[in-house]
Amino acid sequence: MAGNPFPLSKAELLKAYRTMRTIREFEERLHVDFGRGDIPGFVHLYAGEEAAAAGIMIHLGDGDRIASTHRGHGHCIAKGVDVGEMMLEIYGKKGGSCNGKGGSMHIADLSKGMMGANGILGAGAPLVCGAALAAKYRKKGEVAISFVGDGASNQGTFLESLNLAAVWNLPAIFVVENNGYAESTSRDYGVAVDSYVDRAAGFGLPGITVDGTDFFAVYEAAGEIIRRAREGGGPSLLECKMVRFHGHFEGDAQTYRGPGELDDIRANHDCLKKFAAQVTAAGVISADELAPIDREALAVVEDAVARAKAAPLPTVADLTTDVYVSY
Amino acid sequence: MGEGPATIGIIANPVSARDIRRVVANASNLQIADRVNIVLRVLTAVHSLGVNRVLMMPDRGGIRAMLSRHLGRERNLHHQFPAVEFLDMEPISTVDDTFQAARLLQASGVAAIVVLGGDGTHRAVVRELMNGDTGIPIAGLSTGTNNAFPEMRESTLTGMAVALHATGMIAPEYALAPNKLIEVSINEGQRHDIALVDAVISHERHIGARALWKTESLHSLYLTFADPEAIGLSAIGGMLQPVGRRDPGGLAVHLADDGASAGVLLRAPIAPGMLRDVPIAHWEPMPAGQAFTVPLQGGVVALDGEREMPFDAGDRVRVTLRENAFSTVDVARCLHTAAHMGLLRHPSQPHRRHPSWQATRSP
Ligand SMILES: Cc1ncc(C[n+]2csc(CCOP(=O)(O)OP(=O)(O)O)c2C)c(N)n1
Ligand SMILES: [Mg+2]
Repeated sequence: MAGNPFPLSKAELLKAYRTMRTIREFEERLHVDFGRGDIPGFVHLYAGEEAAAAGIMIHLGDGDRIASTHRGHGHCIAKGVDVGEMMLEIYGKKGGSCNGKGGSMHIADLSKGMMGANGILGAGAPLVCGAALAAKYRKKGEVAISFVGDGASNQGTFLESLNLAAVWNLPAIFVVENNGYAESTSRDYGVAVDSYVDRAAGFGLPGITVDGTDFFAVYEAAGEIIRRAREGGGPSLLECKMVRFHGHFEGDAQTYRGPGELDDIRANHDCLKKFAAQVTAAGVISADELAPIDREALAVVEDAVARAKAAPLPTVADLTTDVYVSY
Repeated sequence: MGEGPATIGIIANPVSARDIRRVVANASNLQIADRVNIVLRVLTAVHSLGVNRVLMMPDRGGIRAMLSRHLGRERNLHHQFPAVEFLDMEPISTVDDTFQAARLLQASGVAAIVVLGGDGTHRAVVRELMNGDTGIPIAGLSTGTNNAFPEMRESTLTGMAVALHATGMIAPEYALAPNKLIEVSINEGQRHDIALVDAVISHERHIGARALWKTESLHSLYLTFADPEAIGLSAIGGMLQPVGRRDPGGLAVHLADDGASAGVLLRAPIAPGMLRDVPIAHWEPMPAGQAFTVPLQGGVVALDGEREMPFDAGDRVRVTLRENAFSTVDVARCLHTAAHMGLLRHPSQPHRRHPSWQATRSP
């Protein structure tokens, strides 16, 4: 084989695979544990969508900020938030990313530039405008990225943020994770113009649509968009067309899916399978080199669950901490 | 040649002109709303010239949903449209939708297929039609980024030309034109594909975001035609040695590794808003039927602007130009013929107007 055809080193490819595999194991485990009634609150799983988080976040450092969604575990893991602390948080335990008081939809870690998952649709985009404005003033070439679903992209906050980012020429990037559904509503019924590139164009922003289940497509498009923002080229939009493996939330019977739809997406649109097929076909990484990563990712998740189950709950005294910030 | 119930097909790609060139080169983006308007104009045009049924590719990219809303409104307003039926298929938002739609349209025996998209969409339609060998012509409307193949033309006029052909008002020998294509074969046909305009060999070896715009990675270009008025990689040939769409043969252009070893340094518009200096080693005619072997050890073949076929050292890549490979509706010729033969004139007194006046005036 004549070398590595990909624009990433072998080490970077392995890292990307580890990120995606860790997200997958994390989510598949939550699927089981939630079903057993072990987890308080609500979880929305990112399984199937991993290539978007991994392909984008691999371009970012801790100084770059992101604002996530209700489906935020994948963004957190790809941004470098500690998996153990995330699991503690989701289990509502002390020592979690937010000391167990936030839960799945409120995981944040500012030290990693992760400004928070968010239970309010469309709420991340204005936050990102703020972070991008700060980055613009700091002049260190940092960017801020807002993730939004196809459904949430109908929120006024999102559209207002596109406008603000354009007017202020912010190093802000809007990633629309288009998995075809908002809860049970197909985008055919909920989105008047089913192209997010068109929406961006309405505000004078360039946009790209990519196959969000192809890590390499996301990687290359995100790389150009992020570079442009770092160099002062302003905001852009990236639409990732993707598939969600599970229900909208855990417990969703998914009666709105077409016949065979789930089998088809798992068989033919699995971003991890695609990635593995591409790198092994190119002879850069062997299946034997991927297998230990699979085992390690599983072990990391199992360890995180064991520790989360064993950890104490927050106490009544914890109720009044972390309420106000002192400057 | 009679009137018959004329049916045509439409394949409108919702995702052409959405790629990375919007960010790296300010390429334009034809909005879904405009694509729907283009389809509506085709529908009214073909209907007023006697096409009463149109089969359309369904999509999950917004065209079907918006078109259906529009047609509902138009019906309320009593505007005249042909019956529009969406093909019975489940779109999955990949190029497979285009393949499947072309297959179904072919099976249903439409008289012509109107295609909205860029070079890539047209290539997909032609690739599928070649398998069926029914000779159904296509009429292209450019809604993509690199638009060397489909014409930039008002869709009403394209619709009229398609209807003139579909209803038999203009005979095929006047209405249709033959086209060339390039066949690419890896390892004696193990992998096989076509290009309508350009098969470009690049040193890049992965597909990534598909579009090809880094000229430093180019190795060689094989062109069916090379038009100095075209945008895209084929413009390199267009600026060196023009070859017409209907001329015999094509053009092969071999690039030099760097400016120093180049015979010519050529500045060409390789993408919208992007002129690049390309070091040229030499170029040569590509006679039809003669296989050219690609000497590069490992790279990717880009077909009509998109990286499609990666290959390794040891893979044998061959490209061959074919003439008379498929036909297109020659819109200019149809419209001129219609004018020349007075096909669109009809009696001015209403009582003398025959409902099938079109058919009585076929050439
Ligand atoms: C402002 C607001 N309205 C409604 C909801 C309820 N809700 C939660 S998720 C969701 C659908 C979101 O769909 P999409 O944005 O496509 O994201 P996906 O779940 O597909 O990742 C809705 C309506 C909410 N959380 N916030
Ligand atoms: Mg969604």
